[in-house]
Amino acid sequence: MSFTAEELELAPKKYEYLDHTADVQLHSWGDTLKEAFEQCGISMFGYMTELESIEIKQCEEIEATGDDLEGLLFHFLDELLFLFSCDPFLICSKLVITQFETGEEFRIKCKCYGEEFQIGKHPQGTEVKAITYSAMHIVNEPDKRKELFVIIDI
Amino acid sequence: MEDGLVKKLEDNTKRIFENMNVKSSYSEITKGKIRSIEPPIIIIPKKQQDSETTKKQVEQKIKPAEISVAVTKIKSAGHASKAHSQYFEEAMNQAIANVAALPGIVGKSIGLPDIHSGYGFAIGNMAAFDMNDPLSVVSPGGVGFDINCGVRLLRTNLYEKDVAPVKENLAQSLFDHIPVGVGSKGIIPMNAKDLEEALEMGMDWSLREGHSWAEDKEHCEEYGRMLNADPAKVSMRAKKRGLPQLGTLGAGNHYVEIQVVDEIFDKWAAAKMGIEEKGQVCVMIHSGSRGFGHQVATDALVEMEKAMKRDKIETNDRQLACARINSKEGQDYLKSMAAAANFAWVNRSSMTFLTRQAFAKQFGMAPDDLDMHVIYDVSHNIAKIEEHIVDGRHKTLLVHRKGSTRAFPPHHPLIPVDYQLTGQPVLIGGTMGTCSYVLTGTLQGMIETFGSTCHGAGRALSRAKSRRNIEYKDVLQKLKDMDIAIRVASPKLVMEEAPESYKNVTDVVDTCHAAGISKKAIKLRPIAVIKG
Repeated sequence: MSFTAEELELAPKKYEYLDHTADVQLHSWGDTLKEAFEQCGISMFGYMTELESIEIKQCEEIEATGDDLEGLLFHFLDELLFLFSCDPFLICSKLVITQFETGEEFRIKCKCYGEEFQIGKHPQGTEVKAITYSAMHIVNEPDKRKELFVIIDI
Repeated sequence: MEDGLVKKLEDNTKRIFENMNVKSSYSEITKGKIRSIEPPIIIIPKKQQDSETTKKQVEQKIKPAEISVAVTKIKSAGHASKAHSQYFEEAMNQAIANVAALPGIVGKSIGLPDIHSGYGFAIGNMAAFDMNDPLSVVSPGGVGFDINCGVRLLRTNLYEKDVAPVKENLAQSLFDHIPVGVGSKGIIPMNAKDLEEALEMGMDWSLREGHSWAEDKEHCEEYGRMLNADPAKVSMRAKKRGLPQLGTLGAGNHYVEIQVVDEIFDKWAAAKMGIEEKGQVCVMIHSGSRGFGHQVATDALVEMEKAMKRDKIETNDRQLACARINSKEGQDYLKSMAAAANFAWVNRSSMTFLTRQAFAKQFGMAPDDLDMHVIYDVSHNIAKIEEHIVDGRHKTLLVHRKGSTRAFPPHHPLIPVDYQLTGQPVLIGGTMGTCSYVLTGTLQGMIETFGSTCHGAGRALSRAKSRRNIEYKDVLQKLKDMDIAIRVASPKLVMEEAPESYKNVTDVVDTCHAAGISKKAIKLRPIAVIKG
C-alpha cells in the first residue's frame, strides 16, 4: 500500500495525560470536535507505545455510533482499542475522521493509519484494558476550544 | 485409638479458636481509631433501599458526613501531597456512598484498608445484594474490568540456596516462557472451538488438555470452573480479543514472582499448605482474564445502560451501570462474567504450566519431583452467589468483590478439604520488590465483612505522578541493590509500579489482621520479578 505525503504527515500533538489514581485521564483538544476526537484516539495509542516508532504501512477504516456525544466518544475509542487488540493488531500514529455526524444520529467514520504491532520494533508501553465513562467530560461550546476528558482503565 | 482421635480433634478446635483471637467485634476494634488516625471506610446505608428511596437519595446527593463509618484508612505513601490525597478521599467516599445507594444492597458497602479510587465501585470495595429481593442489582462496575483478576501461589521443595546461584537464568527462562506486556500473544495453540470449550469448562479444560494437574483445581476457588458460564452470551468481539491473549500475563500490575518464605506466623496453617520453614521457594502468579474480560465488562456496561433507562434505575455515576439480577441483562452478565472467570483460570493454569516447564528445565527434574503444587488460587475481582447469615437470618446474596478477596473461615463447606481446619488461604500480592502475604480466613471476617478481606497494597500515587516523581533507573537500581532479579517488558514504566506508588502492604495486612477479618500465616519476599 502506498500513501501520499499528506497521508503520511502527522498531526501536531494536542493532548496530555492527567493524574488519576489507578488509571490515566486523557485530555485532548482541538479547534473542532473532530480534531479533538482524533487527538484523543492518538493519545490512547501514545500510552501503548512510543508513537515515533510507528511507520505508516497500513490503513483501516472504523465506524462508531452512539446515542449521545459521550457515547460516541466511548465507542470511537473502544473501536480503536479493538483494532489494536485483535487482528489486524493495528497500532496507529495518525487518525483521520472522514465523517462526523452529530444531531439526529451520532456517527463517526475514521481512517486509521499505522502498522501491525510488533514486539521488538515497538516499545511496550501500558496495556489499555477499557474505556470508561467515569468523569468523562466534553467541552463543546461555540467559539471556544473543544476539549475532551476521558479516563481509560489500565 | 478413639481417644487419641478425639483428643486430636479437640486440640485442633482449641487451636483454631485460640488462633482466631476474637477480642471484640470488628467495628468495636476500629471505632476508637477513627478520630485518632484517619477517615472512613465502612458505610452503612441509613436504611434498605428500593428504587423510590434511591431516587430520592440521588436527588439529595448522599453526604458522606452523614454516613456511619468504621475501619481506619492506611496513611498514603510519602510523596502524595495533601491536596492530592484529599482528592482521593473525597472520590473514594463518594464512590462508596454511591454504592451504598444501589437498590437491594444488604448490610453495608464496605471499603477495605487497601482501598483506592476506581470508577463506579472504588477498588477495595465490596457489597452484597439480596438474591431474593426482586429489585436487587448486579453491577459490572462492582467487579471491575479485569474479571477474575487473581493470584495463584505455587510451592516448590527448593530452598533459597538452591535457587540463588541460578536466579538470573531462571528469571530469564520464565520471561522467555511466559508472554508478557502489551501486544504479546499466547503460545498455546488455540482455535475458536477450543476457546468456546475453555470458556465453558474452565480448569477442567486445562486438565483435559494436559496443562494442569488434577490436584490444581482442588485448590482453587469454585474448583476453577463456574458452572453457570455460558459462552453463547459472550459477544464475538470479546472472543476475538480473548483468543490471541489466552496464556499471557498482561501488563500493569500483573506479575510472576519467585518468592521465598520470609516469616511464618502460623506454623500449623503453613504446614497444611506445604510450607515447612523459612527460605522455601514459591512462585506467585498475578493475572486475570485479559482482553476477554475487559470486553465482557465493556459490553455489559453498554447493555445495562439501555436496561437502566427501561427499568428506570438511576445511579449517581454513569460508570456504575447496573441491572436487576433477574433481568435478562443481569442474567446475561452473570453468565458471561462466569465465562470470563473461567478464561482467567485457564489463563493462570497455562502460566502455571509454563512456570513448571521453566523450573523443570532449569533443575533437570520433573515438576512433580519439585513438588510444584498449587497452594491456592484466589479471585479478587468477581461477583459470586453465596450463602450468608445476616441479622441472624440465612440469606442468599450476590457478593461483589472488587479488589477484595474472599476469606472463608474454617469449616466452611466451600473450601477444600485440606484447608477445612485452617480456613481458606488468602493470597495478598505485594508490589514489585515488596513482600506478599498468605492469610487465612476467619469467622470474624465471615460475620463482619461477608467473608472478605483486602487484596493487595492499593495505589497511593497516580500513574502520571509516579512517572514525574520517580526515575525508572532508580527503581531498577533499588531492586538490584535488594538482590532481586528483574525482567520487564516495558522498563521505562516500572516507576508506575514502584513500591513508592503504593500503600505499604504490611500496614494493610496488619490492619486486616488486627481487625480479625483475616489472619496472618506466611510472609513471602521476592527474589525475582517478571512483569509486563
